[in-house]
Amino acid sequence: MTAARARVRSALATLVLAVPCTLLLYGFLAAESEGKVALVLAGATLAAALGWRTGLLGWAVRASGQGGLALGFALSGLALVAAFHEDPFVLLLLARALIALVACLGLHVQLADAGVPNFAGAAFFGVGGYTAAVLGKGALPHAVVLLACGALAAAVGSVLLLPLLRTRGHYAALITIAFGLLFRTFFEVNESLGGPQGLKLGGLEVLGFHFNDDRHVLGLEWSGYAFYALAALALALAALSLVRRLERSWLGLALDAVRLDETAAACFGVEVARWKIGAFTLGNALIGVAGGLSAMMVGFIAPNNFTFQESLVLVSILLLGGLGNLAGLAVATLIVVCLPEKLQPIQEYRYLLFSVLVVLVLVLRPAGLVRRTARRSFGSAAA
Amino acid sequence: MKRRAALLLRLACFLVLVAIPASAKETVKLAFIGPLTGGNSAIGLGGRNSADLAVKLRNADPTAKYQYELVVLDDECKPDTGVQVATKAAADRTIIAGVTHYCSVVAMATVDTFHRLALPTIVWGAVLPDITYGHSYKEIHRVNGTMVNQNETAAKLMLAQGFRRWVVIHDTTDYGKGHNKYFTQFVTAGGGQVLGTFGVTADQQDFTAELTQAKARNPEVIFFGGLTPIGVRIRAQMDKLGLAAQFQGTSGIVSDDFIKGLGPLAEGVVAFREGGPAEKLPGGKFFLEKYAEQKYANSPEAYGPFAFAAASLLMDTIEKVGPDRKKVLSALGEVKGKDSIVGTITFDDHGQNTVAAITAYVVQDGKWVVWQDSEYASGRRKLKGR
Amino acid sequence: MDLLAQYLMNGVMLGLMYALVALGFTLFFGVLNVIQFAHGDVLTAGAFAGLAGYALVVRAGVQASLPQLLTVVLAATLSMAVLGAVLGRTLVLPLKGAPALNVLLATLMGGTALRECIRLFYPGGSQPQRFPALLPSTAWALGRFTLRLDNLLMLAAGMALVLGVSLLLQRTRTGLAIRAVAQDEETARTMGIDFRRVVLFTFALGSALAAFAGVMNGLYYNEVNFGSGLLLGVIGFSAAVVGGLGSLSGAVLGGFLFAGLQTLGAVVMPFASAYKDVFAFGMVILLLAWKPTGLIGEPLGERV
Repeated sequence: MTAARARVRSALATLVLAVPCTLLLYGFLAAESEGKVALVLAGATLAAALGWRTGLLGWAVRASGQGGLALGFALSGLALVAAFHEDPFVLLLLARALIALVACLGLHVQLADAGVPNFAGAAFFGVGGYTAAVLGKGALPHAVVLLACGALAAAVGSVLLLPLLRTRGHYAALITIAFGLLFRTFFEVNESLGGPQGLKLGGLEVLGFHFNDDRHVLGLEWSGYAFYALAALALALAALSLVRRLERSWLGLALDAVRLDETAAACFGVEVARWKIGAFTLGNALIGVAGGLSAMMVGFIAPNNFTFQESLVLVSILLLGGLGNLAGLAVATLIVVCLPEKLQPIQEYRYLLFSVLVVLVLVLRPAGLVRRTARRSFGSAAA
Repeated sequence: MKRRAALLLRLACFLVLVAIPASAKETVKLAFIGPLTGGNSAIGLGGRNSADLAVKLRNADPTAKYQYELVVLDDECKPDTGVQVATKAAADRTIIAGVTHYCSVVAMATVDTFHRLALPTIVWGAVLPDITYGHSYKEIHRVNGTMVNQNETAAKLMLAQGFRRWVVIHDTTDYGKGHNKYFTQFVTAGGGQVLGTFGVTADQQDFTAELTQAKARNPEVIFFGGLTPIGVRIRAQMDKLGLAAQFQGTSGIVSDDFIKGLGPLAEGVVAFREGGPAEKLPGGKFFLEKYAEQKYANSPEAYGPFAFAAASLLMDTIEKVGPDRKKVLSALGEVKGKDSIVGTITFDDHGQNTVAAITAYVVQDGKWVVWQDSEYASGRRKLKGR
Repeated sequence: MDLLAQYLMNGVMLGLMYALVALGFTLFFGVLNVIQFAHGDVLTAGAFAGLAGYALVVRAGVQASLPQLLTVVLAATLSMAVLGAVLGRTLVLPLKGAPALNVLLATLMGGTALRECIRLFYPGGSQPQRFPALLPSTAWALGRFTLRLDNLLMLAAGMALVLGVSLLLQRTRTGLAIRAVAQDEETARTMGIDFRRVVLFTFALGSALAAFAGVMNGLYYNEVNFGSGLLLGVIGFSAAVVGGLGSLSGAVLGGFLFAGLQTLGAVVMPFASAYKDVFAFGMVILLLAWKPTGLIGEPLGERV
């Protein structure tokens, strides 16, 4: 009886969270004029403030539990894809945001969990993209190709492991920065992989299903990008639950120890190097898979997609959302990816506004949009 | 106070009602895509203004069936940005057709996008042959010629001046590589010699390594296949290293920014462009006059007339078959012998306009001057080493 | 032989520019233990400030190139000294005590903002700008080696500057204060040194050096564009790190080393300059794997 009641309560809480969020997102993605976008943003801020003040938000998050949150995320995504089923541009935007979320989750594991800086996020994203471009043409099934994208990004990252483990702080940051620049220059001058001209890719194809084609399903005309958005949604869900599980397990505890105080962690028998290697590799693999899917969706990659600037954007998303907070991360990704596309007049000023915003946040609110939640002790997590 | 507001409201309503019949024509959107920021923006802005001029002239014409609106998008001359804005334009169902791309890199990257989302487009400046010939998509057309003819003429003219020894520097995009391929082919066939070939990236800053090696081979001419920004750098650094060879470029450097970036160093630089010079074509004068009337901040540059012609052709087609992508597409396939300000337009089965005329230019006193009219052709001034 | 001389000359010019940028990084790190990553963009801003100064004197009717040159250099260095102090005051000092990553990101983004401002608000800033040739263009051809007077002059001025900074640090009271702060901030404070003033002075000094490098870069290439500082900044940072952060001679060594690696990459490899940056950055990563705190840097102890 109580179990059933708890289930109802959780479902209710999920609805309380997901319905307004979906509606707001719908409004945001559908808005075509700057005024409407501003209106939706104002509405979102108001709703968040109201929910916070009344305690409704906190209750809903607690009551839905992990499963409920994931379900809400999935339903919300599905509803949005269905709502925009024949609008390729909105779907593309949605898919790009979800893919960026996956990449940011990879960085999150490295930076927020293990404390390993990575200023070459775009480069690993690029490794995934180029892998997809090269292997995608072959006979390999594309699901395997996507995994290979992750594997290769992780493998390339392992070249940096030795220098990264031997250095720390600014020196470690420099290694990733140097690698990011090296990567881009390499692809720019290496003509066998397209050079500055870039490479074209065929679309994603899984079990004979071509993602690129528009088609009739359930009596509706679906744009090809709808299927990409669904694939990105599935990937984002998988990555989210993976990271979430990792953090809530003893592995996450060990990573916390490594990040917060290496020396103390080592004293307690935590093998610092092993954890750093694991986190860096897992993070790069996530970024690589995201890069592969992105390249297949856009159908084209060039070294210019993977600049240092892009790496900076990825790291900034993490800090804007609040280092270590997944909800903040998701919101920040959505805003950073979609807002410039929505506000045409600021398009040219996007890097300027973005950089000023990041500086302001770092100086005035170093914890970011949403603060990192402290780990609750084991056992009471379900409360 | 209240009454006044009500009155104002009524007045506003009235004005709206009156205004509606004036714009009762259906509005049809066309996209323009070109490099509006970055090193090639001068040409992009010239193209944008020219397409804008075509739209304005059409909207001022009372016999036109539709009201036209130009949606302007910036591809930054970068393939990735190009694909993004191309998707944006093509995914917008209210946009009927596009006037697309100056940079070959970008145009090559976006052909698939336009095909996938079925947007009929006319290229207004990119010269790589594969943009029209590299696939069998019906969506892509081009009013300007390709780089093949350009390099044939270039090789002939320079050989006729008595030059024999070249060093080729090209950017490693398909644009630069294409120029390298065709120019080398024509110049060696004509008895010239290519002593060395260097590929450089499109945003390279320092060319001293390439130029030092080039200098060691003692060429008479440096042939440069690439666009304005690095063209300026290479010419300037040649001077720094005391490399006193003739500088020869491609259509990518025929822009006012090339001269502005170099000052007196630009004097005597030779370059080639397909199509006749605007001033000499029958419709060209009309175009230049109208362009001057609009007082745009930038000149139409070398490719403005093509953008104008492309936009005009699209609007002519829409007037004839209505604002429907499919109908516009099939009508474009049948364009033959159509008059335009860049000469007659005939699309072959790949959507390529067959333009034979190539214009040679030389910089004389801070201006691109048509070769035949220049003091270099008449013998009053001499190219380097002649 | 003459070709080798040409390569050497090219490399030395680049090395000097890198060294000047690296000096700034190492100075900032010395006094505050931070990386001020907007430094490369300060260099660009310096070049543009010089360009603006040039436009002003030309409009005022000054024709001689010497006063023009002086205006360019002064406009660049003075304005950047002020900007550097302002950046230190608003961006770096408030973040003192924050995680290293935050400072790094804040200054990187500050640099981005600066770069974007130049691109968007300097007239024609999105395009490469022609930098006037203000030095005599006398050149001597020695076989295939062209020796230019302007290069020699720049080299001499740059070297004098490096020497001047080192004298300033070693021989003056201000230099003593800077070194004291670099060694131990708290002790320096108790000795009555105005910590904040010393930090801001250091930021002004380092940024002025970057501005000078920016002008040099402009005179060398006869062109500046809004993005040129980004790569120069990263290279300068690499040079400072490879040399060992906080060490003056290390920065100079690192600068010339990096230029040497680039030139070597361009000469030895058959692709001319194509892979030289790949090669140079690869070497930086290797060097750091070998010597994690740089060539001259003291081994960092663990503070528990």
